Amino acid sequence: MKRIYLPLFLIVIVASIFRFINLGEVPPSPDWDEVSHGYNAYSLLLTGKDEYGDPFPLVLRSFDDYKPALYPYLVIPFILLFDLSIFAVRFPSALFGVLTVLAVYFFIKELISHSENQRNQAGIVGLITAGLLAISPWHIQFSRIAFEANVGLAFNIFFVLFFLLGLRRPWMLSLSTLFMGLSLYAYQSEKVFTPLLALILFCVFWREVFKVSKKYLFLAFVVGFLVSLPFTWYTFTNKAALSRLQGVSVFADQTPLLKENAQRLLMDKENNDILGILLDNRRVLYAKTIISGYLSHFDLNWLFINGDLARHHAPGMGLLYIWELPFLFLGLYYFIFSNFSRKIKIFILLWFLVAPIPASITSGVPHAIRTLNFLPTFQIFIALGLLRAIGFLDRIPYNKLRIKSKYVFVFCFLLFIVFNITYYINQYFVQQNYFYSSFWQYGYKEAVDVVKKWDHKYTKVIVSNEPHLDQSYMFFLFYLKYPPSEYQKEAQSASGGFKEVHRFGKYEFRPINWEKENKSKDILFVGRPDDFPVDISTVQNIDFLDGERAIEIIEAR
Amino acid sequence: MKIKEKIFLFVILFLAIFLRFYQIDSIPPSLTWDEAAWGYNAYTLGIDGRDEFGRFLPVDYIESFGDFKPPVYAYITIIPVKLFGLNEFAVRFPSAFFGVFTILITYFLVKELFRRSESKHVEKLALISAFMLTISPWHINLSRAAFEANVASFFIVAGVWFFMVGIRKKLIFFILSVVSFILSAYTFNSARVVAPLLFLVLTFAFRNEVFRQKLNMLIAGVLGLIIIIPIVPFLLSPQAGLRFKEVNIFTDINVVKTANQEIENDKNNPLSKIIHNRRIAYAREYIKHYFDNLNPNFLFIKGDGNPKFSTQDVGQLYLWELPFFILGILFLFRRKEGYWWLLPTWLLIGIIPAATARETPHALRIETTLPVFQVFTAYGMIQFLQMVSGVKFKALKIKASFLFVGIVAFTLFFNVLYYLHGYYAHYSKTFSGEWQYGYKESIDFVKSVQHEYQQINITSKLGRPYAYYAFYLQTQPNEFRKSAIVHRNAFGFVNVEGFGKYRFNDSVNKIKNPSRKVLYIDVAGRLPSKAQLLKTFYLLNGEPALIAYRFSI
Repeated sequence: MKRIYLPLFLIVIVASIFRFINLGEVPPSPDWDEVSHGYNAYSLLLTGKDEYGDPFPLVLRSFDDYKPALYPYLVIPFILLFDLSIFAVRFPSALFGVLTVLAVYFFIKELISHSENQRNQAGIVGLITAGLLAISPWHIQFSRIAFEANVGLAFNIFFVLFFLLGLRRPWMLSLSTLFMGLSLYAYQSEKVFTPLLALILFCVFWREVFKVSKKYLFLAFVVGFLVSLPFTWYTFTNKAALSRLQGVSVFADQTPLLKENAQRLLMDKENNDILGILLDNRRVLYAKTIISGYLSHFDLNWLFINGDLARHHAPGMGLLYIWELPFLFLGLYYFIFSNFSRKIKIFILLWFLVAPIPASITSGVPHAIRTLNFLPTFQIFIALGLLRAIGFLDRIPYNKLRIKSKYVFVFCFLLFIVFNITYYINQYFVQQNYFYSSFWQYGYKEAVDVVKKWDHKYTKVIVSNEPHLDQSYMFFLFYLKYPPSEYQKEAQSASGGFKEVHRFGKYEFRPINWEKENKSKDILFVGRPDDFPVDISTVQNIDFLDGERAIEIIEAR
Repeated sequence: MKIKEKIFLFVILFLAIFLRFYQIDSIPPSLTWDEAAWGYNAYTLGIDGRDEFGRFLPVDYIESFGDFKPPVYAYITIIPVKLFGLNEFAVRFPSAFFGVFTILITYFLVKELFRRSESKHVEKLALISAFMLTISPWHINLSRAAFEANVASFFIVAGVWFFMVGIRKKLIFFILSVVSFILSAYTFNSARVVAPLLFLVLTFAFRNEVFRQKLNMLIAGVLGLIIIIPIVPFLLSPQAGLRFKEVNIFTDINVVKTANQEIENDKNNPLSKIIHNRRIAYAREYIKHYFDNLNPNFLFIKGDGNPKFSTQDVGQLYLWELPFFILGILFLFRRKEGYWWLLPTWLLIGIIPAATARETPHALRIETTLPVFQVFTAYGMIQFLQMVSGVKFKALKIKASFLFVGIVAFTLFFNVLYYLHGYYAHYSKTFSGEWQYGYKESIDFVKSVQHEYQQINITSKLGRPYAYYAFYLQTQPNEFRKSAIVHRNAFGFVNVEGFGKYRFNDSVNKIKNPSRKVLYIDVAGRLPSKAQLLKTFYLLNGEPALIAYRFSI
């Protein structure tokens, strides 16, 4: 048993290095969700209210996307420690990333210990899985941005871990239901995924659950109920929060899709084609769209080569390492046909199959964040595949050249693995900033520095808020550390949400139309190169890290 | 073979013929330019043994539009054209015909692959595999138009089957196998990679059996060499290379640019030069295009993005097949029956050539993987049947196993109905533009009025009009060759700018001296101000495609 703690310790160290090194500099800039989390945390810390003046919100209205509000609360202590900086905002995510790696080890060990035939494997499978998660591009990606999904994942793992532990030490069941409830406050996907996970867990382990004494079960139930009640209540009573779900679901804005279908239906009706009226039904189309979204998460290119949006993966990388591919298939095959107990097989496979469900009812699939709960199932399969492959090695015959050919084989493959990981590290820590700085909305920090330096000369600063400068007001609030109490007062009707124009202090955020602007010398303009005439002289230019022009700061005259 | 199986097989083949030949001349709604070219080349070959441009019995290639088509499809179309005349049915006949035979051979092949296994279900498996191919949207779509890939698939399936029979019976099957594989290489480009690789794998795997039959091997080898020789000079020629360069991923300069930038970002670190080596970047591209062909949405939801290969309603496979497909693969590996390993190997080899191209996934270029997908599904269904037949549970006096099978059969029926309804009721109308609809109708019109005109100017905006005019006017080969104005550009592309009194170009509407003696055919919406519109030709969805006009000065 003790032998296992050293490797585990090393794994945690590796996980921490991958998650904390240059946390404030890579990715090169916070995106709008990150600054929003940061500023709302700052606002909560100083005033106990969010940017809109809501006291201690459960759900953050933010850019009218109504995020579950847990993350900003987690940021508060780190703002106290490190001031309002991007490092502080990202800190909880990275921290929970490391904790997830640790928890995954104990979770796998505990889970596999439930299977009599495989009990002696439990520690090693747990270690390899945790190790794979520690270096997983997918997990590192979302551990290094201030994004709530990673915390949601951590809570789900804690929830399952304490559930399994709780079957032996019943008081832990209450911890389990606590984390189950909390995960609802962490991220949107969890609203769908966590209840499903709980259901699976209960269906698989109900016999064990009912062996636990009633007292503890009751306690756990009460904890879970009390923790999730406020959120559930809020979700079902708040129309605005529901609107977010409708906004991103497949049922929203499918006009082109429906239009084509409507034409077909019309034709069927004209031809009196009853069969056609039945088959070209709108519901068939919706079902197809949802299944299509679901299946898109099993596209090998998404998993291994491309990923989806630029902010969701390092350039040139997918979400898993390509060297893991053979082991993934081997592990899946082995897992299905192995002598693991039926319960474990059903539990893990259902987890694996349920993970993409929240994402598949939304548009914009495949989606690496909304399916973050896939983790660590991929890593489990890969770990099992690796172990199986090592088992195969003994079957490779001796070579006549007096070298065991299996060592040659292993050496070559290890070289490939090292190569692959090196490539990833380089892509993530070096190339990402260069190639993807525009996707990370780079340039605000530099822009605000310039503005701060000069703004005593101006009575008004006008900032564009058209793409790629969307939600620019939040970046200014964040980098200016604009006093939240003042902002809450000013913003009432002037700022926030999906408004066209946002305003606070002498700052105004709106589309710039150069022809019609009042060109007084008291006004400073911050905008995109497209907003201004080509030959205009600028106070300062700010470029993306690949040299493309990002922001121009201009004095009207 | 028992009488019951014979009946099943007969029914399957009958269904196959129906699904492939019913209304084949009007759905798809019209000929693509490749189909027109196949037809016309078959026509001229049938008259004087020369292709459209006068090459005598070409065996290495048919130049056509400069795409240097492998020639087999033109030759096998000669007889249908002689029999049925130069029309849509005749051109598409070989594809559908060989499509049906692919199904028959699939049945025999599956039996051969699993002959050694102890399973009692081989006969069922073979029948279900053949059935799955029969109703396959992939195979139906490609069998109903003159796609040479569909014929190449037949030759590959036949080649594998002959080989498998050959190792068991010491007969001439080896020779037939070699001939089939080589014919496939004379039929379709992808097969030029797939056929030799498959043949090598088979020979290696069955080296003992193969070497035992030295004489047959020798004959097969010599014969193979003889029939492959004619194509070799062409394969090594610059034209062939040019075509490949144009469509492959390894000439994409952006990959190199990115790699160089990455090395620069690493300050020219030597390690960076290794990990950002352009060969590795290209390898990544290759894997990407390879995986594209396994994209679940391509396979199960929408199919190939090109409406010529897919109705866009269903995937290349039915969504219904998905669970059985997965089950089939899992249990094929698990049970290791017969020569099970050949199937996944075949699938992986089949994608190799297609993944070098920029356009992926590509249903046509990976058609050589058929019928592997269908056998996987069939195998999964057999496993499923075995599993549920073990279920003893009864509800309302109905055995649960019947219930399961009933549900599965019903959903399959629904899925097939969905595809077929889309195909027959909507496909032609929605996508007639993709099939270059409008040429035939406009040529019919030209035929009826052309005696009034000295010259007919036709737009080439819809692509390669000459092939259609030669085809539908049944232009005599000699007449065509004598009067054709042919241009070949540096890339080897062939452009026929006119023949007889027909002239083809992009800018029909730039008219210097309008004359009463000229008839104009142009794309809709380009009617010059003083012209007199004679007729508009519409797509099947009601949008105008072409117009005919003249000047009545």
